Amino acid sequence: MRFWILLQRDVLVAWRKKSNIYQPLVFQLLIVTMFPLGLGAGAQTLQKIAPAVVWILALISTLITLENIFKDDYEDGSLALYTLSGMSLPVAVIAKAAAHWLTTGLPVIIFAPVIAVLLHLPASAYGILMLSLLIATPIFSLLGTVGSALIMNLKNGGMLLSVLIMPLLAPVLIFGAGAVLETTLGNTPVGHITLLAGCFVLSLTLAPLAAAAAIKVNLE
Amino acid sequence: MNKIVKFYHEMGSPPSFYRITGHWLKPLLILALLLTVYGLIDGLFFAPPDYQQGDSYRIMFVHVPAAWMSMFIYFIIGVSGIIAFVWRMKVAEAVMMASAPIGALFTALTLLTGMLWGKPMWGTYWDWDARMTSELILLFLYIGVMGIYSAYDDDPRKAARLAALVAIIGLINLPIIRYSVEWWTSIHQGASISIMGGNSGIKEWSMLRPLLVMALATKFYYLYSMLHRARSYLLRTEQNKSWVSKQFIEN
Repeated sequence: MRFWILLQRDVLVAWRKKSNIYQPLVFQLLIVTMFPLGLGAGAQTLQKIAPAVVWILALISTLITLENIFKDDYEDGSLALYTLSGMSLPVAVIAKAAAHWLTTGLPVIIFAPVIAVLLHLPASAYGILMLSLLIATPIFSLLGTVGSALIMNLKNGGMLLSVLIMPLLAPVLIFGAGAVLETTLGNTPVGHITLLAGCFVLSLTLAPLAAAAAIKVNLE
Repeated sequence: MNKIVKFYHEMGSPPSFYRITGHWLKPLLILALLLTVYGLIDGLFFAPPDYQQGDSYRIMFVHVPAAWMSMFIYFIIGVSGIIAFVWRMKVAEAVMMASAPIGALFTALTLLTGMLWGKPMWGTYWDWDARMTSELILLFLYIGVMGIYSAYDDDPRKAARLAALVAIIGLINLPIIRYSVEWWTSIHQGASISIMGGNSGIKEWSMLRPLLVMALATKFYYLYSMLHRARSYLLRTEQNKSWVSKQFIEN
């Protein structure tokens, strides 16, 4: 019950401040423009790097939004209220992660084909691209809650957050971009997708616990 | 009380930890220095040249022990992180934070010596092979642990608890990172030593000897350096306690 209320509230807060939602997408568009400018606009070159670039852009554009998952709640005191209300903290974390996914992960998935078209990704890989992002963006949000909880009362925690989260995201990137790459090469992506799903289950079970522990330490 | 139990409890309290480890520093340093000198001379001058790599393989006597230490120390950090987080032991916090820079240094040394060896052998300083990549990611994990600690330096207890959490998360992730990177690609040569026999690994005793001596030397150096750092860590974080001021009056 409280889970849904918290989720609804967070989505509403994000929706009211729409820059939160379109900023990552604008960022992706800006960066993707740099690639042809730097590499040359040849379709062959771009096609080769397309799986990786689409994936890394999705990753980075999510990374820049993670810092704020808990920051506002910490600063206005509502985070202390969640813990006082007797609500299970890991459940609250999952609600925060779900809201973050709905407002950044989902737009990124929907926007991914646009980026893919700009980079001449082979048509056969679109389905797997969307599927891999569908499994992976929740992982970004879940692991993001851990990083965000660790740095929520720091002024310039963004860089530190990237250092903390990047090693955890390396396997996700390997399996996710790997799945798309295998598809463009005509191989089956099933192995990569399954491992990606494993990463999702693991982060769904462990990340909320870790984030809750970090919140508790930070509120002490 | 049983002597071992008593020792165990004494090591958990900062004043007696400080007192006891004070006697260990000099012997550890001497052992580390002697073994390093012996291991390097033995490895650089007396071990036979490799049948394929000639003399350039000798960097292995620094590279391989450093690589072992880089992983061993992260394991120590993870375990003391668990102890620090669950039981809030100050000594565990000290050991964890004292180990981090040493581990990061060994990781950097591993990468550096590997790159220097890679240029003549593979023809390139860097190749995105599985073990190099996971070593690099290990360096990021070390930087993360130290980074979160220094970000909260106004409150060392809280900083240590958060750093412990980061270390634990890293410890859980290490095997996942390791295998994901392994499946991703590999050209690195096989492990230098295989305990279970097998076809890979060094068989020649005169090559193995300096390697094992260097491995011991790095362990002793780590113990010396870690205890030294842990002692000053405890002095710094406990500076308002009476045992610290007593230390300074006595000396």
